[in-house]
Amino acid sequence: MVKPILKLITVAKEAGVVTRKYPYDSPLLTEEFRGKIEIDASICWGCGACVKACPSNALTIRESMDVRELVYFAGRCIFCGRCADVCPTGAIKVTKEFELATEELEDLEQVVIHRKVKCPICGKHFVPQPLGRYVCEKCAKGGVPTYMMVCPECRRKVGVKKMIRCKGG
Amino acid sequence: MNQHKDPLPERLRPIESLIREWLWIDRGRTIMLDVKRENLVEVARGLYKEIGAFFKTCAGVDERPLWGGYAVHHIFGIDEEGLDVVVYVRIPEKDYPWVPSIVREVPAADWCELEFRDLLGIDPRGRLTQRLVLPDDWPEEVKPLRKDVPYGYRPPRAEETKPAEVGMYPSGVPVGPYHPALHEPEYFELYVEGEEVVDVRYRGFHVHRGIEKLAESPRFDYNKVTFLAERICGICGFVHSCAYVMAVERAGKVEVPERAEYIRALLLEVERLHSHLLWLGVAAHLLGYDAGFMHAWRVREKTMILAEYLTGSRKTYGMNLVGGVRKDITPEKVPKILKVLEEVAKGTKKVADMIVSVPQVRKRLEGTGVLRKSDAAALSVVGPVARASGLNRDVRKDYPYLAYKDVSFKVPVYSEGDNLSRTLVRVEEIFESIEIIKQLLDRMPPGEVLNEEWDIEPGRYAVTSVEAPRGEDTHLLITGVGRPYRWRVRAPTYANIPALRPMLRGQELADAPITIASIDPCFSCTDRMLVIDVRTGKRSVLVTRPQVKVVSLG
Repeated sequence: MVKPILKLITVAKEAGVVTRKYPYDSPLLTEEFRGKIEIDASICWGCGACVKACPSNALTIRESMDVRELVYFAGRCIFCGRCADVCPTGAIKVTKEFELATEELEDLEQVVIHRKVKCPICGKHFVPQPLGRYVCEKCAKGGVPTYMMVCPECRRKVGVKKMIRCKGG
Repeated sequence: MNQHKDPLPERLRPIESLIREWLWIDRGRTIMLDVKRENLVEVARGLYKEIGAFFKTCAGVDERPLWGGYAVHHIFGIDEEGLDVVVYVRIPEKDYPWVPSIVREVPAADWCELEFRDLLGIDPRGRLTQRLVLPDDWPEEVKPLRKDVPYGYRPPRAEETKPAEVGMYPSGVPVGPYHPALHEPEYFELYVEGEEVVDVRYRGFHVHRGIEKLAESPRFDYNKVTFLAERICGICGFVHSCAYVMAVERAGKVEVPERAEYIRALLLEVERLHSHLLWLGVAAHLLGYDAGFMHAWRVREKTMILAEYLTGSRKTYGMNLVGGVRKDITPEKVPKILKVLEEVAKGTKKVADMIVSVPQVRKRLEGTGVLRKSDAAALSVVGPVARASGLNRDVRKDYPYLAYKDVSFKVPVYSEGDNLSRTLVRVEEIFESIEIIKQLLDRMPPGEVLNEEWDIEPGRYAVTSVEAPRGEDTHLLITGVGRPYRWRVRAPTYANIPALRPMLRGQELADAPITIASIDPCFSCTDRMLVIDVRTGKRSVLVTRPQVKVVSLG
């Protein structure tokens, strides 16, 4: 019986104290750790690529009349960082933050609000403004085409009318 | 059906006359035998008894949208050939589907037959049946895995609950059902006569989460299911995500960069390291040697930090995608990995040596919970449990996958079948894993790690097995449009729990906790005494000390 105790004493002595006084001490994190994400509202387009890639529905889109909201709820997040992989603008950054305990549920939510483009013909709101602007910039080489900011339905109607007129009907 | 004109393998000749047609799903690796329903029992007997195949699992599939009926897939594995044999039986009935039960020939098929009875309503004829997976208050007519049941279905609240069944023995000791810290609530009822365990009853599936059904739902796609697969298990999550992506890749013929295969194999071994060290600690704790527990977990912590360094998550989560892995292991990381491995090897050697040298620990491990080789083979047990009972089974050797064909390692096999040999198998595997990781790092080819250019046709089929720390993990996958059509998961503990019955019978009650733990499940240590009045079937639980005293004196 003496021998195992001697062994234990040697092992324990070699190991020393390994317990950290967390949370007073820093947590044991490596530089690769993935924590919650942060969305930079000034770069986000509101395209919804992250929502499509999110396996756990932590990212969702709330649509209302004139506003599209991108909602990130950290309570459902599994910290996989797929959203950051697929974000076309690099608006989503994975942080090292993981100490998320809170008394208020709202603290776990980040909402990015995008106003939508208003159609000058029917007054309906459709795509988020930054996404609309991006498409305009991408497509318009010598200035914004006439019907760029018109909603798809009106654009179709106007297009058909124009075609009929061209044919002389 | 026989698209490939390849001949039937020599090993399957004895049952050739019983097979309607055969189809090589993956040449040299998986063959599907189309068998008439009336021949199923004969084929199962031939495969299991004459040919010497092991049983992996079976899966019922609702194939009504495809051809109008149901089907049952029984998966056998011939270890020596590295060949998976899928016995496919069509069931034409739409209303009351049935298949003959093969449980008399193949005892290992017990649970999965009950499972397709519960989830698909396919009746296995010729055996005793009871509910296994579904809760007692689930409505009888709803078969959740049928395609016409929506994935979000919730049954109405149960108004009445049935009284619990009564066992045949006068006194039982319940072990379970919940342990707040571990992920797998189980419930064992140990029937005792004096100190001796005479029988065991098991009730599990308290936390059946319907993951297979969820993966078929429209909110998932092939890549998202990878993250769902990881969450099947809190210890061997990477094993499940690997088995799943490998199944998708094999079914859809997706090319995977070689470097990604090396990284996956490496992480599988990191997972084995942390899982075995965890088990070693838990075993020491159960035997009352808490110093061993603390030190085993101290060493384990290093592997957890290594996992985080390599994947970004302590639990090796979030690495796999269909077509490769998301994070490369850059050359700068290699020295740090080697350093950690060195520390873990040294630490494990000392701690394991310390634990098994304590006479009290050794005495309680030696000769307890014996599983004979014949029982182990009949129940097709897997992993360290099989290897400790003299069965030389290891998926990494028998059905080489990922980068395992390129590394050399030993498979420790013991013949005693007791708790000590299961401990020693695991300890030896820790050192083998360290060697495997070193070899993988040494031979890792350069190049890409992720192939995102893929397109998967519906209706393809794959069976994959991955050696988890606890044993063989088998996944069956049929591809659908944008997501799996059917995905069946058989975790290793599913195959090993039935082996607890022969292990526990005739044991002293005091050895039951370590024996249950020796298959490495997660089990509850809430044990109280339960008294059953045999005449009235009334049960009561003793909670106070005086009550227990009265019974023990009585």
